[in-house]
Amino acid sequence: MTSQPFLRIFVAPGALAALALLAALATVLQYSLRLYVPGSLEAGGFTLANFTALLKPLYARVFLETVWISFLTAALTLLVAYPVAYALVHTQSRLTKAAILITAITPLFLGEVVRTYSWMAVLGNNGFVNSLLLALGLIDRPLQIMFTRAAVVTALVHVTLPVMVIMLAAALSHIDPNYAKAAQSLGAGPIRTFFTVTLPLSMPGVVAGVTTAFAWTFSAFATPQLIGGGRVNMIANLVYQLGLASFNFPFAASLSVAGLALTLATLGLVRLATRPLDKLGPP
Amino acid sequence: MSRSRQRALHVAGTLVVLAILGFVVLPALVVTIAAFNDKAILAFPPQAWSWRWFAKALAYPDFHSGFGNGLIVTGWASSIALLVGGAFAFALDRYAFAYKRTIEAILLSSLIVPHFTIGLGFLILAAQIGLARGFAVVVVCHVVLVLPFVLKSVYVSLRNLDRRLELAAAGLGASPSRVLITVTLPLLLPGLAGGWLLAAILSFNEFTASLFVTAQRTQTLPVAMYNYVREYADPSLAALSVIYIAATATLLIVANAYLGLGKLLNVEPRR
Amino acid sequence: MSSLAAERQPRLASQVAADTTGGDVAVELRDVTKTFGQVHALKEATLCVRRGELMTLLGPSGCGKSTLLNLIAGFLAPDRGELEIDGHRVNDTPPYKREIGMVFQNYALFPHMSAADNVGYGLRMRRLAKQEVGRRVADALALVRLSGIEERRPHQLSGGQQQRVALARALVISPKVLLLDEPLSALDRSLRASMQVEIKEIQRQLGVTTLFVTHDQGEALSLSDRIAVMFDGQIHQIGSPAEIYRRPKDRLVASFVGDVNVLRARLGSIDRTTATISLGGQSIPVASEPLAGCKPGDRADLFVRPEQLHLSETGELVAAQGTVTTHIYQGGHVDLYLLSPVAAGGRLLVRSSEPDAITRWPVGAAVGVTVSGADALAFPPQDDKP
Repeated sequence: MTSQPFLRIFVAPGALAALALLAALATVLQYSLRLYVPGSLEAGGFTLANFTALLKPLYARVFLETVWISFLTAALTLLVAYPVAYALVHTQSRLTKAAILITAITPLFLGEVVRTYSWMAVLGNNGFVNSLLLALGLIDRPLQIMFTRAAVVTALVHVTLPVMVIMLAAALSHIDPNYAKAAQSLGAGPIRTFFTVTLPLSMPGVVAGVTTAFAWTFSAFATPQLIGGGRVNMIANLVYQLGLASFNFPFAASLSVAGLALTLATLGLVRLATRPLDKLGPP
Repeated sequence: MSRSRQRALHVAGTLVVLAILGFVVLPALVVTIAAFNDKAILAFPPQAWSWRWFAKALAYPDFHSGFGNGLIVTGWASSIALLVGGAFAFALDRYAFAYKRTIEAILLSSLIVPHFTIGLGFLILAAQIGLARGFAVVVVCHVVLVLPFVLKSVYVSLRNLDRRLELAAAGLGASPSRVLITVTLPLLLPGLAGGWLLAAILSFNEFTASLFVTAQRTQTLPVAMYNYVREYADPSLAALSVIYIAATATLLIVANAYLGLGKLLNVEPRR
Repeated sequence: MSSLAAERQPRLASQVAADTTGGDVAVELRDVTKTFGQVHALKEATLCVRRGELMTLLGPSGCGKSTLLNLIAGFLAPDRGELEIDGHRVNDTPPYKREIGMVFQNYALFPHMSAADNVGYGLRMRRLAKQEVGRRVADALALVRLSGIEERRPHQLSGGQQQRVALARALVISPKVLLLDEPLSALDRSLRASMQVEIKEIQRQLGVTTLFVTHDQGEALSLSDRIAVMFDGQIHQIGSPAEIYRRPKDRLVASFVGDVNVLRARLGSIDRTTATISLGGQSIPVASEPLAGCKPGDRADLFVRPEQLHLSETGELVAAQGTVTTHIYQGGHVDLYLLSPVAAGGRLLVRSSEPDAITRWPVGAAVGVTVSGADALAFPPQDDKP
């Protein structure tokens, strides 16, 4: 049992990949503490100036906006994804199952640009929603939907939906159907069975899904850039602007570090808040 | 009476799910219709119909080079990720070694760490060692980004594999490498194929990090598309999106038929 | 009626009334049929469970016994037929309004609740006051002798304890019927035996009508007031354990319940009540009913329990001849396997309680076999009757 014949050649490449990722993250951390030398890609001496600059209201507002949008997106995605995951797991017909699965996860594989662009066709001034409302006579000139936070969140929910569905469905499919039967035999109707048994038992999936949705939204770039159009700014847009437009790598790096720290802190809070649920024990 | 209440609940649930799935497919439907608009703006519904944006999209040189670059990056990145991730998943499942959990956590962290952070890190790193204009940095960055998906897919297959089959082969006199080649690998094939497919699709579509690590010469298709939207307003991109959506959906339907996506994504009951 | 708690009191009163007026049928199925696609899981099953009795549904896996249980519980709806609990038609009543208690094969204890919360779940669903719930939970846990583990989670309990919690959870709601779906199959052998006794005692004590599903014929024989034996979606026989064991209605029941030897023989004589089977030098009396339509001289299969076979020296008067191939020492008795051309499978099993059977009939010995007792049965050969 203790023989491990391919240990080195199997572990080494993975360890190397991990090192590469660590190196990239360490570089970001290192640059975040360096001085910006305008006009040069090289950075100057060590400083905390980049981080003190982050406290300016302009940047603080972007951070708050990002957290708020990420939170809204994760919560809404959970609400929208749960019924789909439930249907996916509980439908009996194989064909319906495949149809739900493929419909729900295809967007995951389309990439941010295609999806965001498609939403521009839906939400734009000449887009689907405005055309529909005009045709129905509910409005007489196009609504400004693009460049609003609601539009950005709508598109982001669409982006995070597939992964949330997958994670919820994974959790739901591993719940023994006898739990629900037991609850019913004890007098719980479908709704009470759901809230007292199914939902609590699916919490690991809920936590995993919300966490992932939050993290993904947090790093969203194309959606706020194209649908927010500069009026809804998230951290990624700022990092891009500073890093690739102004070549201010140190400040872009400090934004990235702060963003990463914020992600980790938020995820830590989510884990902490849902801690009692980890005591579910083995299934 | 309560049976009818149950039925009402069922119908309501079905309608909710259909509405949500409608929300999911709506953008794809709208962009498909908008792609056939004859006018040079993205608008819905079209007044006059035309194929011309498909022709234009297919002729646009940046899309050509983006597609070619994408294939190069995806081919290398997904294959390397398959080898690295497959081997590491095997080691995770079977072996005890130093820093096992640490390495696993670092490799999986690219699911959580913002892509712009990873992209920026590799960009600065590559600039420092003078590789910023080549494919190497793009490939390495993509390998790191898609590795978690390969790891998970292969790991799940390994978990579902009956270890006794390997013991039986070893008992019949097969050496460890022959067991691996004649028993383990064939049984893992669906998981490996699924992991590779996920990795390839995700790599081909990766955008945020690619925006940082690609140069003009190495830009991938999503980056080329993004740059196009920033410059032009015509529906060429809608046409390209339609091709994209059709290709991806076809690929997934085929993958589902042959590999069983439900099992691959671990969303089917154990039995 | 929206509140189950409100329905509860009148029901208890009506149950008492029903008892005094002698309405003694707790569960009744009439011609209940259930199919899944092409598979007939249950074919026109008719069954009456008397109030307070413990009935076992016995049969091999896939025989439809679990389908029948799920139909009574309401997790499945019958395609055809009538289903009544306490004299009321429940075909269209959802499971949560049927007032049944169910113990699942894997117990299905809610992993996110303590033992006490599991037991109290049904009471909370009936919106009982908190104190009342606490009192009844304590009573129920005392009944299954499990006081002191209230706050533990299911995964912190042993298999036997989980089983008791599951039983308490099903009983605490005073169900009209208690349904047990192979509840002992996950326990090891010694624990299973003691739980059998305990379930039987609790069932007697409470007088709760109980339907017990099992594929273990030993369990069925030792637990039940009555047994319903099922094969292939059909109920073949309903009767007391002794009836099922001694008077099986057909060859399937005879083969499934207890060990049995099948001997190829011929019909000697037959009239309206009795028949005789001639086998070697013996003439063995059997019931004539299963042989209806057969004539003297026809082939017949004789079904004999191993304890009804006796070994002797070979000779003229024995029913069959054989050679001893194996001894299996079982403590209280010895099982001897014989090679015999008369046996349907080529081998005979003889159960001897003589202490010296092993030395007296060594391996390789040629022996004679005689049939004794009045419980022998004969059926027409297999190919005549499915």
